[in-house]
Amino acid sequence: MPAPSDPVLAIYRAALPHVYGYLLPRCGSAALAEDLTSETFLAAVNASRQGSLSEVNTAWLVGVARHKLVDHWRRREREQRSLAAAEASVAEVDDPWDEWLDAEAAFAILALLPATQRAALTLRYLDGLPVATVAEHLGRTVHGTETLLARSRAALRRHYEEGHHHAG
Amino acid sequence: MPADPLDALRLPIVPVEPRPEFTEALLRRIQAVDPSERRTTPTIRYFVTDLDAAVEFYCQHLDFQLELRPNPVFAMLYRGDLRLLLSVPGLHPGGHALSDGTLPTPGGWNRALLQVANLDATIQSLRRARVHFRDDQPSGVAVRQVLLEDPSGNPIELFEPASGYHERSR
Repeated sequence: MPAPSDPVLAIYRAALPHVYGYLLPRCGSAALAEDLTSETFLAAVNASRQGSLSEVNTAWLVGVARHKLVDHWRRREREQRSLAAAEASVAEVDDPWDEWLDAEAAFAILALLPATQRAALTLRYLDGLPVATVAEHLGRTVHGTETLLARSRAALRRHYEEGHHHAG
Repeated sequence: MPADPLDALRLPIVPVEPRPEFTEALLRRIQAVDPSERRTTPTIRYFVTDLDAAVEFYCQHLDFQLELRPNPVFAMLYRGDLRLLLSVPGLHPGGHALSDGTLPTPGGWNRALLQVANLDATIQSLRRARVHFRDDQPSGVAVRQVLLEDPSGNPIELFEPASGYHERSR
């Protein structure tokens, strides 16, 4: 059993709402958010017990949660279809997109995209991470991530414009 | 440079309290973690020349998950209970240089073995992804196996059990 002084246990109650609050709106399902929250804290306490952590704080735990979310989407992508097929199906062109964006509508569309595209857009825009950091999370090169982001933006835009067209 | 319309998607973290039942159940699970359990995690280390390419290779093609990447010369990956450490050799801390300056190099013939559920389907998928094989013709005794390489030239053996396969029962 972890020692009472375990750093993860020490901040558990304070950090839990932040970790869950990070995951819930990004994965869109309370059940999934709970699963990933559990994975996050269990990974953290395991790392802590190995003595491989110099400091545990809420920001670090949110970073672990981000890893778990990306892992989930990676598994999902593999289940849904092959990555190559998903990427090949989307145009590479990313036209300038100057119009005002309805964020609520865009959030809804994110859930429709292939998991890898959803992961890339979430990390880049919802989390506001630099492309190099997104690449690190996705286990891709920076160039490959830029390409993925361009394709993901194009897919988001296509769904967005189709939605507005149908709505009109 | 004009503002990116997708910047409107920025989503700050707003703390949300989970269900009380979940909060208490997870606390009990954390408290029950056996500290000795993970200290025996089977671990292998591969030396790689390009950490970006290696992490992408193992995550994209072999079902590994990135656990930690604290600096540009080291990453920790997991595949189930197997832990894979990727290190870039060099004179930097963690570069595993010997006292006489000798550096480790990727490659060789000793390798990690990964069991797959359907070897033929896996081979086809990896061929499509242009993964480099040393030997992509399944063969072996009590297993069917092939040998591929990561981007730094480290061998990885993929296998599926065949007639006569043995493993200690758990």
